[in-house]
Amino acid sequence: MLDTQKRHRNTILNFAAIGVLIVFLLIIDGIGSVKLEQAFALFAIWGIAAVSLNLINGTTGILSLGHHGFMLIGGYITALLILSSESRARIANSARSQMNEFTLGLSIKNWFEALGLNALATDDTLWLRFIVAIVIGGIISMIFGLIVGIPSLRLRGDYLAIVTFGFGEIIRLLASTRLFAPFTNGSLGFSGVPSEFGKSLWWTFGFLAITVFVMAKLKYSSYGRALQGIREDEIAAEAMGVNLAYHKVLAFAISAFFAGIAGGLWVSWLATARLDVFLFTLTFFFLVAVSVGGTGSVTGVLIGTALVVFVRQYGDPLEESYTLWQWLLAGGVLLLAAAVATLIYRNIRRLRPRLNASIYIVVGLGIIALLIGLFAASGGQLQSEYRAFGMRAIILSALLVIIMIFKPDGILGQAEFNWAWLFRERKDQPTDEERAQDAWLTGPELSKRLEAAETREASAETAGESSEAN
Amino acid sequence: MAMLEIDDINKSFGGLQAITDLNLKVNEGEIVSVIGPNGAGKTTLFNLITGVYKPDVGDIRFEGNSITGLKPDQIVDRGIARTFQNLRLFTNLTVLENVLIPQHHKLKSTWFSAVFRTPGYLRREQQMREQALEKLSFFGPRLMSFRLYQPVYVLSYANRRRTEMARAMATGAKLLLLDEPSAGMNPKETAEITQIIKRMRDEGGYTILLVEHKMNLVSEISDRVVVLDYGQKIAEGDYQDVVNDPKVIEAYLGKKAEGDEAQNDQLTEGDGRTS
Amino acid sequence: MAVSSIPEPKKRNWAPYLIIGAILMIVIGRIIFLGTVSDRFNAAFFTRAITESFKLGSLYALIALGYTMVYGIIRLINFAHGEVFMVGAFATFFLFSAAPYPWPVAVLVAIPIAFGVMRILDFWRGKMTDPIVLAGGGVVFFIAVWLLSATTVNFVLALIFSMLITGVLGIFIDRIAYSPLRGAPRNSMLITAIAVSFFLQNFGLLTLTRRQTPFRPDTVLNNSLVFNMFDGTVRTSWLIVVIPLISLVLVIALTLFVTRTRLGKAMRATAQDAEVAQMMGVNVGRVIATTFLLGSMLAAAGGAMWGLNFGSLNQPAILGILPGIKAFAAAVIGGIGSLPGAVIGGLIIGFAENFLTAIFPRTPEFAGITEFKDTFAFILLIVILLVRPSGIIGEDLSEKV
Repeated sequence: MLDTQKRHRNTILNFAAIGVLIVFLLIIDGIGSVKLEQAFALFAIWGIAAVSLNLINGTTGILSLGHHGFMLIGGYITALLILSSESRARIANSARSQMNEFTLGLSIKNWFEALGLNALATDDTLWLRFIVAIVIGGIISMIFGLIVGIPSLRLRGDYLAIVTFGFGEIIRLLASTRLFAPFTNGSLGFSGVPSEFGKSLWWTFGFLAITVFVMAKLKYSSYGRALQGIREDEIAAEAMGVNLAYHKVLAFAISAFFAGIAGGLWVSWLATARLDVFLFTLTFFFLVAVSVGGTGSVTGVLIGTALVVFVRQYGDPLEESYTLWQWLLAGGVLLLAAAVATLIYRNIRRLRPRLNASIYIVVGLGIIALLIGLFAASGGQLQSEYRAFGMRAIILSALLVIIMIFKPDGILGQAEFNWAWLFRERKDQPTDEERAQDAWLTGPELSKRLEAAETREASAETAGESSEAN
Repeated sequence: MAMLEIDDINKSFGGLQAITDLNLKVNEGEIVSVIGPNGAGKTTLFNLITGVYKPDVGDIRFEGNSITGLKPDQIVDRGIARTFQNLRLFTNLTVLENVLIPQHHKLKSTWFSAVFRTPGYLRREQQMREQALEKLSFFGPRLMSFRLYQPVYVLSYANRRRTEMARAMATGAKLLLLDEPSAGMNPKETAEITQIIKRMRDEGGYTILLVEHKMNLVSEISDRVVVLDYGQKIAEGDYQDVVNDPKVIEAYLGKKAEGDEAQNDQLTEGDGRTS
Repeated sequence: MAVSSIPEPKKRNWAPYLIIGAILMIVIGRIIFLGTVSDRFNAAFFTRAITESFKLGSLYALIALGYTMVYGIIRLINFAHGEVFMVGAFATFFLFSAAPYPWPVAVLVAIPIAFGVMRILDFWRGKMTDPIVLAGGGVVFFIAVWLLSATTVNFVLALIFSMLITGVLGIFIDRIAYSPLRGAPRNSMLITAIAVSFFLQNFGLLTLTRRQTPFRPDTVLNNSLVFNMFDGTVRTSWLIVVIPLISLVLVIALTLFVTRTRLGKAMRATAQDAEVAQMMGVNVGRVIATTFLLGSMLAAAGGAMWGLNFGSLNQPAILGILPGIKAFAAAVIGGIGSLPGAVIGGLIIGFAENFLTAIFPRTPEFAGITEFKDTFAFILLIVILLVRPSGIIGEDLSEKV
């Protein structure tokens, strides 16, 4: 197929895919299951955050751990700007309110009214105010992104990661202090944030589509290539004319902007803005999504996000209470499964020794746990109920460790899903004709000219080398 | 006026004087080789010219303008590009991408127009692509067609060297600094790269400053040879004159003592044969 | 020569000294100002503040040593070290507070203790299957089982047990999570360390406790200590003596170990260049295990004394974070990779934290200051990393681990 034909085919397939996605969303909307809708909306929101984190972590190769700080800024600003008058009145009347007259008046509704745009200040046009608010949140978050990006000019690698982590935590800690409490209402936060946007599939997926569009196009533009060059080799990139300072800060700024957008949608999804929803845990979840899905790959990150959201939304059975013997059984099975998986892995990779001494310990512990569990179950002992809080985070962190060990680039690596992939078209494989030509080029036995050159050069080289050897 | 003028530069690392009072002129269209024993300061010289280090004293001028104290990317903008001794390619990117990245600094479009693929940006992208193919075609068909889309890590060592040279050319530089372009290549490939460097000057119009250890390559293509030892220029001129200079022989082989005569003869003899 | 292989010239950087000098000037100026207007700043106040600073600083130093040792050997910022500290604190708490254990629990607890003892005997014998090592492990196992199941453990014994358990945990973490990543990009190692940190936090929530735990063991160590200075009474506890003393003993033991023993010398060689050390016959795997064992043991000691000092343990998910971050800042201040640097950095952090909160009177106008205490730790960390990542002590003083 010709290149233009392929491009047309890809365009048609892209539109078809978008159509399928819309139909899919319509179906989910039609099913009417709140839980399912929420899960999908959350997927879109976290997808925005994870894909934007991927711009720094994956494309530019700077490990950034301060994403929750950017989201906090975007989230609080959006919440503050669109908070309804009733909620404001409730805060104002509350004795524990930490807000003042000025911050309570920060509302887009007020601004529109002051400008005489009363039509835009009604309840029907809340969506417009939401867009304005979320964009303002994104922009202010972007300014913070610029600030956080500046250390990246001096530091590299793990030290820089710690600095971004520090910035994220500073933003969170400062938000609770007296200085900023008028804006954030201290530890109380805001409740009653309009939630029709964050919980709506159309709003969230709309923003996700914009984010994915921008990130994908950016990755395959000249700027994206420059960022990838920085990831591969900073010194070489600089020696090839890439302005490191500008591009690194640019990556931070764009990423922070979308993180701010994600933060705005996230508070809307939660319907509250509190400080404890912007913990480092949030960044950790995105880190899992980016690392598991594929560092640098937008599609991979979306796959990773789907996994994280699934564990978070549908992982409740993990955290319910079970009796102790059930836990023992589960633990035993898990240990045995781990031992078997190690065995299979070592077998496939032909690693020696196939059986490490520690495997016997693991197997032994697993069998003991299984036996105790079984005996206790039949004997009616160990019946006390036990609830495993935090099991989801444990599973995600264990998953992250496993991915880092066995596939550090994630499931997709840096590869992006594309249609050529699906049709098994590979540009980087030679055609038979090219293969023959290549063999001719490199194999002296196939080319008289090269052979002659080689013999001539070989004699020259031995002479040259003898002089160097001295 | 010389294209590159280096005036009395000095550079020291702590107590180690790496470059002392070095003067160097490179005229337009010349191929100048810098040779010298290991640790003579050749790569330091390259690092000073390209802005990786700043000279302690002295001035470096390119086309009459001082480039001392500029950052590496600004110096590339002025028109000096380099290759690295031990290959610093963007290993996980394709050959084509490797040659596109050095053209990024000439891009006038903002990131916004790049994301939304404005016609202006697309035109530039097309130009960049043509430019990249042109530079890669210097090395014959071996980096073309399917190789364009292969990640660099699958390439052979020689092909990586070639890619790096194409990458340096793609910056749009007028002066290329090649740091051991034939390192790790077999005689056949060395002969080929020698021809290519010649063609780069003759057909591409580049001025070339190169560091090299293989004397046959140096003797074949250099218009001028500069010998460094302990950060000082000890000889400069025609290849034949330079290798017969007693100071150079001393730098390479140490002070003449009894028993060294035979080795000296061998050096001149061996080089005589290749040139 | 590669670009990166040439060291950048060392420039005298005055900025950190100026910043620290400015902070000191502000603090001293403030003290002098307040000293003239109130009688709070008498000799008793300073005695108390300085001893408290030493106490806190030595705790940070203990934790910082773990960071600095691990970074020195495998160039990893061990994000999970704060959680190791948390485990150490809780291990001491549970060993000490619960009355005699039922025998199955005692056996389970005694296994890591015995293993830890075997590891330590292994320093001397050099082989885990050595008869003396095995016999030592066996003996300790039975003694530990007997002690745990038949008697109540006193604090010092609980501390030692907890150090052994946590040390073994450190080795275990390294074996499972870090060792497969040797030679991987440092970002991958850091991500793994973060994952381990999360794992331990949540595993702590799952298995240990979910709320703040009071920890006021009834030992002679925290008896109150009241003595008269010439112009006031200092009310404090014996901890101001005990904690720096225990820390000092541990640090001296560590220093002796690193400088005098074969394994310690191997550690220093590995810190210089792991690859070359390996070629010279150093068993790098053993060195790394030793590093994690020692670092985690010190963190456990820090954790136990932390609980003793503050009288309560925060819930597992947050107990380790702030001390960990502050100790990491301390390690960086002292020059990461340097043992004396970590101790000095720990003391600096201890003094800074204590004095910055102590000199401000508890009046409403200064009430906001303490809110910034935690923020201050992060700001300090960022400033130090930005201004002088190699630490203020500099190269000449720092002895690489």
